[in-house]
Amino acid sequence: MSLLEIQDMTMQFGGLVAVDNLSLSIEKGKILGLIGPNGAGKSTAFNCVAGVYTPTKGKILFDGEDVTSHKPWDLCKKGMGRTFQIVKPFAALTAMENVMVGAFATTDNRDKAAAKAADVMDMLGLGDKKDLKPGAMTIADRKCLEIAKALATNPKLLLLDEVMAGLRPTEVDEIIEIIRTLKAKGMTIFVIEHIMRAIMALSDEIVVIQFGKKICQGEPEAVACDEKVIKAYLGDDYAPA
Amino acid sequence: MTQNELKRNCLIGLALAAFALPLVVSSPTYLHILIMLFLFAYMTTSWNLVGGFAGVLPLGHSVFVGIGAYTSTVLWLQYGVSPWIGMIIGGLLSAAVGYLIGKPTLKMRGAYFALSTMAFVEGVRVMVENIDMLGPFKLNGPRGLNIPPLPAQEAGFWSFQFATKEPYYYIALTMLILVLALTYYISHSKFGYYLKSGGEEPEAAQALGVNVASCKVAANVLSAFLTSLAGTFLAQLTLFIYPKSVLTLDLSFELAFIALIGGRGSIAGPVIGALLLRPVSEFSRIYFSDTLPGLHLIILGVVLIVVMLYQPRGLTEPLLGLFDRITAGFIRKPQEDTV
Ligand SMILES: Nc1ncnc2c1ncn2[C@@H]1O[C@H](COP(=O)(O)OP(=O)(O)OP(=O)(O)O)[C@@H](O)[C@H]1O
Ligand SMILES: [Mg+2]
Repeated sequence: MSLLEIQDMTMQFGGLVAVDNLSLSIEKGKILGLIGPNGAGKSTAFNCVAGVYTPTKGKILFDGEDVTSHKPWDLCKKGMGRTFQIVKPFAALTAMENVMVGAFATTDNRDKAAAKAADVMDMLGLGDKKDLKPGAMTIADRKCLEIAKALATNPKLLLLDEVMAGLRPTEVDEIIEIIRTLKAKGMTIFVIEHIMRAIMALSDEIVVIQFGKKICQGEPEAVACDEKVIKAYLGDDYAPA
Repeated sequence: MTQNELKRNCLIGLALAAFALPLVVSSPTYLHILIMLFLFAYMTTSWNLVGGFAGVLPLGHSVFVGIGAYTSTVLWLQYGVSPWIGMIIGGLLSAAVGYLIGKPTLKMRGAYFALSTMAFVEGVRVMVENIDMLGPFKLNGPRGLNIPPLPAQEAGFWSFQFATKEPYYYIALTMLILVLALTYYISHSKFGYYLKSGGEEPEAAQALGVNVASCKVAANVLSAFLTSLAGTFLAQLTLFIYPKSVLTLDLSFELAFIALIGGRGSIAGPVIGALLLRPVSEFSRIYFSDTLPGLHLIILGVVLIVVMLYQPRGLTEPLLGLFDRITAGFIRKPQEDTV
């Protein structure tokens, strides 16, 4: 059974159609990759799923329930965790307190939230950075902190928006490992990524969008050699003759 | 003794010293200055729940001071209701008003919220100045309300009137300690975490399950209730209220100045701010109120600019850092001796 199902979703900003009749679904326990050129509408699609925007048209089903136009905080409580493309740490709080905000989604008790936050941070290798303010952390750690905050809410579905952008290759490998571990634990993951190596290694299936429209869908190898995809990324000149 | 225990003992010592102070200070003038200092620290701490933790800038909190002052005074003058009960009724009324104005305005961003709270308090002041009777209640327009002082033997707890300053001193100090304890409790609770995160990065907080708007409204309701209690206290202390004394932007601004200079969103900030700034306000009022009324706001404004340039998070952070180093020094020395 699919955990997330998007049906004919369209998102318009004034005259701009950012997402155009997009349909896709993710099976429980799988990783779905979403790729496309800059401005293709990937983040907008995420924001619709996570309740930031109400889609102009279409339907979103989460765990069998119609959640179109539900609010972000309600979706979080239902088991949707997300990261932001531009990291949004709470600068005045320590890393640990940042993660505790997420953990409070599962408990009202401060000690339980602290324990949960510590667990998640240890798992992500942030164990020795609990008392740092986000401003004192490296980019890689701040990206990891975003994942930690989302994970602390105990999500069934994790939406990751370019968590590897701007990282060094070794750091990318670390995040790939983390995502693999999460998958092994049964987490369902919907991931946007520009780093091809990462998305190819992780995804069970990939959806490619351009100008908000789905242009291709399939297993990583098939998508990589698809003519439309190559054109979308490299321009018409590079399309195989 | 660990450093934290030492710090806690320092704070307890400070509170005990504050309780013992009237044994040494007997001049009513100085006691009055201290009472006002506690009262402003109390009001700013209440303000801080929404202005500090929730990350918005309310500039109309005197409306709650006014509601508190007028409610208890009208009930006492017309119906003989104890100001203590009037205090609670005023608080509940303020909480309701805090909800009604918070609900639509707290969704606005930054300056719009600040402007709408300013507009609200000005609107209420102008209304009260033009109303002699509100239904059965006598507000007496711009002339305000006078609470006739009771003879010394009739004054007492029930009437919230005392012949000396000491009882007011202890009531104000107790109110301050209670509101600080409440703030401490909140800032370490789920609600506190939700307020702070929603104030800083609303979108990120929402994604983590925080209903930012309703948290802010809840904080505003609580803040309004607490601020209102200070209004009743002020009325009983001065026994005379009028629109320009309790329903003014001056008062609203002063609370914001104290919080910003002391340190918004920290527990000690409002207390440190009041300690530093109340004397400025008092002395400029004593010496310049005829020649330069409003001088204290100008001085506070200049201080604010300087502080914001060098310590944008307020003076509490460096001062607490100093406290930290001093207590750490005391803890380390004996250990080094034994080694
Ligand atoms: N809130 C908004 N209001 C108006 N236009 C928007 C808004 N959000 C996104 N857009 C527009 O929608 C289009 C899709 O943007 P989106 O951020 O979804 O792209 P993306 O695929 O995530 O790109 P990138 O790879 O650069 O992150 C862009 O043209 C963008 O300018
Ligand atoms: Mg994007």
